[in-house]
Amino acid sequence: MAVNKQQKYLRDYWRYFQQTTLIILSGVILIVAVITAVVLYITGVTSDMPTALTVLAIVVLTSGLVLGFVYWLMRRPLRDLMAAIIHISGEPTDTTPPNPNDGQYERSGFKEVLQTLYQLSKDRPVAATSSPDSVVAITENALSKALNTTNCGFVLLDKASRITFANKAAPIAIDQDGTKRLNLYFNGSDNFDNWLVECEHNAVNAEKTWERIPNKLPDEDDRRFFDVVATYSKGAEAEVILALVDRTAKYLTSEQDLDFIAFAAHELRGPITVIRGYLDVLQNELQEYLAPDQVELFHRLSISANRLSGYINNILNTSRYDRRHLRIRLAESTVDTVYDMIRDDMTMRAVAQNRLLSVKFPADLPTIAADPASLSEVFGNIIDNAIKYSSEGGAINVTAVKKGDFVDITIQDHGIGMPGNVVSNLFQKFYRSHRSRETVAGTGIGLYISKAIVESHGGTISVQSEEGRGSIFTISIPTYQSVADKLQAGNNSNEGIIGQGSGWIKNHSMYRG
Amino acid sequence: MAIKTILMIEDDRFIGEMYARSLQKAGYEIDWTVDGNDGLIAARNKDYDLILLDVMLPERRGTDILDALKGGSEDLIPNAKVIVLTNFEQDDESRTAMEKHANGYLIKAEITPSKLLDVIRQLDAQ
Repeated sequence: MAVNKQQKYLRDYWRYFQQTTLIILSGVILIVAVITAVVLYITGVTSDMPTALTVLAIVVLTSGLVLGFVYWLMRRPLRDLMAAIIHISGEPTDTTPPNPNDGQYERSGFKEVLQTLYQLSKDRPVAATSSPDSVVAITENALSKALNTTNCGFVLLDKASRITFANKAAPIAIDQDGTKRLNLYFNGSDNFDNWLVECEHNAVNAEKTWERIPNKLPDEDDRRFFDVVATYSKGAEAEVILALVDRTAKYLTSEQDLDFIAFAAHELRGPITVIRGYLDVLQNELQEYLAPDQVELFHRLSISANRLSGYINNILNTSRYDRRHLRIRLAESTVDTVYDMIRDDMTMRAVAQNRLLSVKFPADLPTIAADPASLSEVFGNIIDNAIKYSSEGGAINVTAVKKGDFVDITIQDHGIGMPGNVVSNLFQKFYRSHRSRETVAGTGIGLYISKAIVESHGGTISVQSEEGRGSIFTISIPTYQSVADKLQAGNNSNEGIIGQGSGWIKNHSMYRG
Repeated sequence: MAIKTILMIEDDRFIGEMYARSLQKAGYEIDWTVDGNDGLIAARNKDYDLILLDVMLPERRGTDILDALKGGSEDLIPNAKVIVLTNFEQDDESRTAMEKHANGYLIKAEITPSKLLDVIRQLDAQ
């Protein structure tokens, strides 16, 4: 136990106060005596010595009595205040704390003063720490012991991004070589590692929160969800401090909701299959008997069934993606092949809505590494948006061009376009601009899942837009050539292609074991 | 070898009739069983060129049927191609396992009967 010998006690002040007051009072009486003596001398009273001494004695005695009385009057409340403060501070003392219920206090109103003081002391958060005799230097050991009893995780990282401290509740994995790493599955590129890299380059102080980050994959035992709060301060000994709040109880219900969504989407597929199938059968069988306007009615039925199917896929994929279950299998393919999967549907939709859809892919495009089913859903989502947000007779141009190791597919419309603040939020889940909420139907997950799918191809999706002029969406997908080696090494899973091998793709390979 | 005879194992009557109708019209010979046990017996008793296999089936799941036919040391249906047709969200492991033994894996909601015919023609051309 470390007790500071130089520690000043509150009770010392009282002693000091008493001593100094007595010295000053004696000084004052002495001065009064001297002045009286001088006055007596000047006025010639000193010639009558006994009278002069009597006057001097009376003056000295009177001033002594007056000052003593004043001191006595003031000393008591001051003493009681000091005693109360010493008592509150927890300093060891042999005086009893003044009792507010003392009759005299009650009469004088000092009771209220004492009560206020005692009340204030109760509200004080930590009373004991200021008590010198009970000061315990909280050692690192005691602190980490204390932290280990909370179910809130704490992790400290040093300047080299090494984990220097992690309490028991923190989800930490230890690699074979003994290095500790954070065992969390962040969602896509919005992960801790990327944030840290960005902070190291651009920030002095930064803070960020991620919500609903699991430490294990679905179906693994004891899966927990954390809200992660990271604080970065450049150059500090603990450059990054992570606080992880275990919110499993809260988020587990929404996991079940996601299961429900996946289940409901599956149930919806049955009727969709029948509707689309029989429409197809009927249209083929009735071909020669149908008038042109009746064919158009069939088209409308097909378009609606296809759209419904598309929405269901979006919901299913979003639910999979949010549970880190979205699986993308990349193989050599062409932009044309991918588009072929939705070509008829898109043509039909554009014609029905009276839009001029022009799709031209150059013949010499290199092959791409794609999961055709997923990527065609992305194309479908973007073209569907282009149709929705452009006006009667509006042109929609779809084309592609090779850019380095990527093929850029652009979808351009000449519709209503978007202001900058809308563009920046566009790929967020459930985001719908104020205007689109009023005018156009939609779920707000189409672009969110499109971005997720494109990024799991190792590609990017971006948009340029001008209000009133239209929008250009660009989907960049790696050429097969550029990723072939990695793909073959990884058994056609996409894990080698995704930046830094982090995020949910890595999880998939683990999931497959 | 051209595909001529097809066994369809599908428990949904609407969906089964839909595929059967368009496959027959396209000139294929089609046998249709509704439960998994019957399906497995049919597949072993007759040499089909193609088997259309659902996953969620009464009595015996599609996964078990495929495993019984192709998963052992001996391929019991060396001449038959297999297309798995399902609307069920299988977990990755089971899906990968099925894909290993099948020539195609299709989500029913995403294909129409004409698309299925296209797929069969493509298989034939391989």
